Amino acid sequence: MAEKILDVQGLETQFKTPEGIVHAVNGVSIHLDEGETLGLVGESGCGKSVTMLSILRLIQSPPGQIVAGKAIFKGSDLLAMSQEEIRQVRGGQISMIFQDPMTSLNPVMNIGKQMAEPMLLHLGITPKEARERSIKLLESVGIPRAGERLKDYPHQYSGGMRQRVMIAMALSCNPQILIADEPTTALDVTIQAQIVDLVIRLRQELGMAIIWITHDLGVAASIANRIAVMYGGFIIEEAAVKELYANPSHPYTLGLINSLPQIQRKGRQRLYSIEGMPPILLQTPKACPFAPRCRWVREKCWQQNPMLESIGENHKVACWVDTTTGSER
Amino acid sequence: MKTDNDILVKIENLVMHFPIYRGVIRRQVGAVRAVDGVSLEIRQGETLGLVGESGCGKTTVGRTILQLYKPTSGHVYYKGTDLAKLKPEPMRLMRKDLQMIFQDPYASLNPRMTVRDIIGDPMFAFGEASGKQIDERVQELLKLVRLDPDFANRYPHEFSGGQRQRIGVARALTTNPSFIVCDEPISALDVSIQAQVVNLLEDLQRDLGLTYLFIAHDLSMVRHISDRVAVMYLGVVVELADRNEIYDNPLHPYTKALLSAIPVPDPTFYETRQRIILEGDVPSPANPPSGCRFRTRCPIADESCALERPEFREVSPGHFVACIKVGMQTNTKEVINQESV
Repeated sequence: MAEKILDVQGLETQFKTPEGIVHAVNGVSIHLDEGETLGLVGESGCGKSVTMLSILRLIQSPPGQIVAGKAIFKGSDLLAMSQEEIRQVRGGQISMIFQDPMTSLNPVMNIGKQMAEPMLLHLGITPKEARERSIKLLESVGIPRAGERLKDYPHQYSGGMRQRVMIAMALSCNPQILIADEPTTALDVTIQAQIVDLVIRLRQELGMAIIWITHDLGVAASIANRIAVMYGGFIIEEAAVKELYANPSHPYTLGLINSLPQIQRKGRQRLYSIEGMPPILLQTPKACPFAPRCRWVREKCWQQNPMLESIGENHKVACWVDTTTGSER
Repeated sequence: MKTDNDILVKIENLVMHFPIYRGVIRRQVGAVRAVDGVSLEIRQGETLGLVGESGCGKTTVGRTILQLYKPTSGHVYYKGTDLAKLKPEPMRLMRKDLQMIFQDPYASLNPRMTVRDIIGDPMFAFGEASGKQIDERVQELLKLVRLDPDFANRYPHEFSGGQRQRIGVARALTTNPSFIVCDEPISALDVSIQAQVVNLLEDLQRDLGLTYLFIAHDLSMVRHISDRVAVMYLGVVVELADRNEIYDNPLHPYTKALLSAIPVPDPTFYETRQRIILEGDVPSPANPPSGCRFRTRCPIADESCALERPEFREVSPGHFVACIKVGMQTNTKEVINQESV
């Protein structure tokens, strides 16, 4: 059994807005084993990014607030650390790649300076060493003429190359955990394939654990060992990757997988669609968040929110109904 | 049998260059060759999928067909009329038949107009309906796109992305068009909502006999919705075929690479699949490579590819490809497989 490198327990994050309190994350418990890749899948507004930002304490407060929970990383609770302590972890032992490589790089600072910044802070090396290391890192992510390109600015790089720079930066301090927040969403498919391949190669070389946030079940299938599906601020299903795609058990996961057109499929079948819209998280959730859109919904679903329960080896689901038989669990 | 009557829209050698100006006197120093010689036929009642990566010119093709850009050269025939030669007023009237659904449902609806005004505006613009008639038509359209008719007096910000896109669809349908350019209508939507909008578009096509040009970068969705698929790269169409043909038997090396890069929601698939990972990025359309546009990234290119632009030729009935290497088909396959290992 692999060691848990990160253990999140009962995380709750809320945002105060003029319309009321938004319950973005409602008691998420999730762990990450050493060297594994966890895919965190869900649609916009389901709380997947907020979960990760909360762990790194990057939630702006106010309006955001982490109300409850723990995030144990190497024996200490990230959520209880002082600002000074968390800064030592962030960008160093745990680093993050953001979705949009254009807005996450500083447009008026050249790439060399931006690359060197975290290394000077976390590794305590000289600027000259940082420069040499930057060149090595850029070469390892496949940027040609890395030495010359250090003095270039972000706008002189293409989208795919900027994302490579982001990855090189995130790897610069030898992180144990890499959190990738939709790193390929803004990119074209051929460039996306390049980036996914790059991360798979670097994972083998460096042996870090990865949390890959995505809304794309296809990308998740190509990179993750284990997948957690989020909906309405809850994790509603969690399973090893093959198990999840072979036996999706939550009605939402099932709907999501069926609503994708399959590239191998010949005939023109009608797409399965989940009617309705994702929930607005303005009330304290009591019922199952998916109940209004669920075709298996029954009385119990409106009264009590099901907990994440084990239904097999490496497979947990939060649903009152067994979707294979249609009866209650 | 295909006759000319079946063809609703015919594009001939369409070229759209955007000039680049530099210096104090704004001298033209070059041009972005967004579309550089595209010929396509769109048949009555079909959906033609147009795919390619960002910057390949697919949106420009859609907009140039509708004369939202004045083409640099080439012809766009709609029911036999060359739209590129029409004067502004007849073109304006022609727009009743030609509509567009935009990519971003947040940017394409005026936030200060009510849903009734947004959907009714095309009727108002053609000045052919009274207020009451507009109201009735708006109610009818809202029902058609499965929105509550009572929503007519609300503003766009009160709707979710999927609902906004339905409003965009309703607006496109107001004047009873026969041809609609769908410019990435689902790429800004969540996965569970995409299926809703695609099903809606399919139902409308069946019920109203619409013809679509469906522009997208999501190849699995394009396979689902299209009858035929055209693949664009850097301003030119490199391959065109029936949807099953192009996915089962892609001939152009770019199409092959594009198809192999699609993420598939099936982890077992990745154990067996051979991926063709393209090197590098798309070159700038202001200075495209000579000869074949794809040769700088192509795994099977050689010197002969730089000499002249490959002819867009029919290799089997209905299957067109622009690559000089195709024809030595078995050969091409072998070389690609070697490269991708």
